[in-house]
Amino acid sequence: MIEDPYLGKYITCVSARSTDKEILQKAQDGGIATTLMVYALEQGIIDGTIVAGEGDRPWEPKPLVAMSREDILKARGTKYSISPQISWLKEATRSFGLDKVGVTGVCCQMQAVRKAQLYPINMRDVPDKVAFTVGLFCMENFPYKSLQTIVEDHAAQSLSSVKRMDIGKGKFWVYTNRGNVSSLPIKATHKYEQPGCHVCLDYVSNLADISTGSVGSPDGWSTVFIRTKKGNEIWSKAVAAGMFETKPIEDVKPGLDLVTKLAKEKIDKNRKTVEERKSFGVNKALRNPYA
Amino acid sequence: MTKVVEISPTTRHEGHSKLTLKVNDEGIIERGDWLSITPVRGIEKLAIGKTMEQVPKIASRVCGICPIAHTLASIEAMEASIGCEVPTDAKLLRTILHAANRLHSIALHNILILPDFYVPGTETKFNVFAKEEPFRSIAARIIRIREIGQTIGAIAGGEAIHPSNPRIGGMYRNVSPLAKQKMADLAKEGLVLAHEQMEFMLEVIRNMQSLEYIDVAGKQIPIPKTLGYHNQGVMATSPMYGSSSLDENPTWDFARWKETRPWDWYMGEVTIDLEDPSYPVGGTTKVGTKANPQMEACNAVPTYDGQPVEVGPRARLATFKNFDEKGTFAQHIARQMEYPDCCYTILKCLDSLNTSGKVLADYIPQGDGSMGWAANEAPRGTDVHLARVKDGKVLWYEMLVPTTWNFPTCSRALTGAPWQIAEMVVRAYDPCVSCATHMIVVNEEDEVVARKLMQW
Repeated sequence: MIEDPYLGKYITCVSARSTDKEILQKAQDGGIATTLMVYALEQGIIDGTIVAGEGDRPWEPKPLVAMSREDILKARGTKYSISPQISWLKEATRSFGLDKVGVTGVCCQMQAVRKAQLYPINMRDVPDKVAFTVGLFCMENFPYKSLQTIVEDHAAQSLSSVKRMDIGKGKFWVYTNRGNVSSLPIKATHKYEQPGCHVCLDYVSNLADISTGSVGSPDGWSTVFIRTKKGNEIWSKAVAAGMFETKPIEDVKPGLDLVTKLAKEKIDKNRKTVEERKSFGVNKALRNPYA
Repeated sequence: MTKVVEISPTTRHEGHSKLTLKVNDEGIIERGDWLSITPVRGIEKLAIGKTMEQVPKIASRVCGICPIAHTLASIEAMEASIGCEVPTDAKLLRTILHAANRLHSIALHNILILPDFYVPGTETKFNVFAKEEPFRSIAARIIRIREIGQTIGAIAGGEAIHPSNPRIGGMYRNVSPLAKQKMADLAKEGLVLAHEQMEFMLEVIRNMQSLEYIDVAGKQIPIPKTLGYHNQGVMATSPMYGSSSLDENPTWDFARWKETRPWDWYMGEVTIDLEDPSYPVGGTTKVGTKANPQMEACNAVPTYDGQPVEVGPRARLATFKNFDEKGTFAQHIARQMEYPDCCYTILKCLDSLNTSGKVLADYIPQGDGSMGWAANEAPRGTDVHLARVKDGKVLWYEMLVPTTWNFPTCSRALTGAPWQIAEMVVRAYDPCVSCATHMIVVNEEDEVVARKLMQW
């Protein structure tokens, strides 16, 4: 077990890519989260999983309790907006009738799942039904209005024609169906972030069973942290079943150093915000979420 | 010479209540008063001015044992007032929820009453918390039945306690095919256990019924053959679910109901002059203590055709299935006989349930202030909620819960029983006292009542 102040505890870290062509077609990078959930569903490790499906408006994510491969595949690709996954956690065990729930989500959502398991207030009979969690790397998130502004105004593209969005090389990239590529400096998007993200001290989903994201691996590949015993078991079986091709993280560029660098950047910056909040307001600090 | 003995509080049932009993020299009750001493919550007053969606959620909070009955009765009272018909699949989900609640509640009641009963053929009373057999396996079976009931309730209703899925106009969401299958699997398992548990309980109850004496705190107390008999009528609206004023043939009549205050029903101030420190647990109230049931009772006294009536499993079986036994043991037996019915009802509803059917009415009227009522056959009896809704807001709200009906009836049924086993008579009603506690309407003519109540 490796313990890192910025990357959390993990058993191993690899660079990996799904072998499923259908998943890779629309996946953001290596298709890790989708493939893992499809594998877990087909193996009976989970009965269903909460994923970020398609919402009513273009590129608006909406949580979906997926109970088939087809439904899970609807969630391929990153949607840079807020999807309240945990709002379906209890319902998944109720009217959906799931006994083994899978959850995908970003760092704060993994924290919420663990918190719900530890203190199941309003989560009766839920803790033991969370069977598998896959966390995503997350720097910050945008409310839908923000995403509209970034894409429609800054990048000057129509959201409904966007094929793919990506953050990399210091820029926010927008690719459209007609072949337009537009980008804007990441710096310009900062003011549209949701303020809650500025106190988040987690970059790589420290509390998930397995966490994954593009940072640290070459294009089309993902960095994967295997964190828990359960995660390790599922990962080993999935690799043995040929669901993934893997490379040691040490052999790929840019490697773990970049992950650590970005994690440090995010966490150090946000620690500062937590500190600053102590003196916000008049005679009354803003609430410290970690106190 | 008549003496007064008081058991306060009574134990092994939901809520706080007490027994003030006038007994003769042989210890036989001449007049018994059983009353609620749970503080008033005032749900009916809280409801006024709230939206019709809010009130069922608030009403459900009156108690955690049959919140499902309260939620359903309250929602249906609102629907009756506004004139809203719900889709069939929503009705089916509600019935499943209702039956699941009854299943778990009967099992819970088994735990509460078993310590009163002997293991057949022995002189040992049941201790469901003991490690030894057969107690351990009985307890395990009861717990599993409860778990099954609660899980089915959680799936159909969103939550086993205070269900979140029912709403005005139907349900928030239908269940998935997987959830339907899960409920069916659980009900199948429950059916086998419920049959076993029913057979077991019937044997235990019949054994007790054949005994002449029961041991209470080392004394042999005779069990009268007429234990718990009364001459009040019975009231039930349906063998399983209930009725409402929207029905084609409503089975409850608003015009036959009248509410009396405890002041007019219970005995006045008395001084306790009989005491038994050995009575479990902790003895009865000390000699010299004053008791005043008229003033202390927090329950109202509802009457049907001018008389208190019995509600509950025996009332349901007597009304709909020609069950002709009376008294405490008959009530126990009737309750056990409802065990398999719950599972059969769930399975039957699941057969007809369409998981892709709509569960919410297309149009939900906002109400014109007309009166609507809904009766839900809660595990322990008929739970009637009445409401007037205008423009989506509740103008008036009333809850007539099972144990409110049973308080005065049971008080009558105490007559003739040795006071030491009065609690057994009470427990046969499966009392759920806290919801039977009411805000008492101050009578404009009787100022004394109003003033005294305020002081208390």
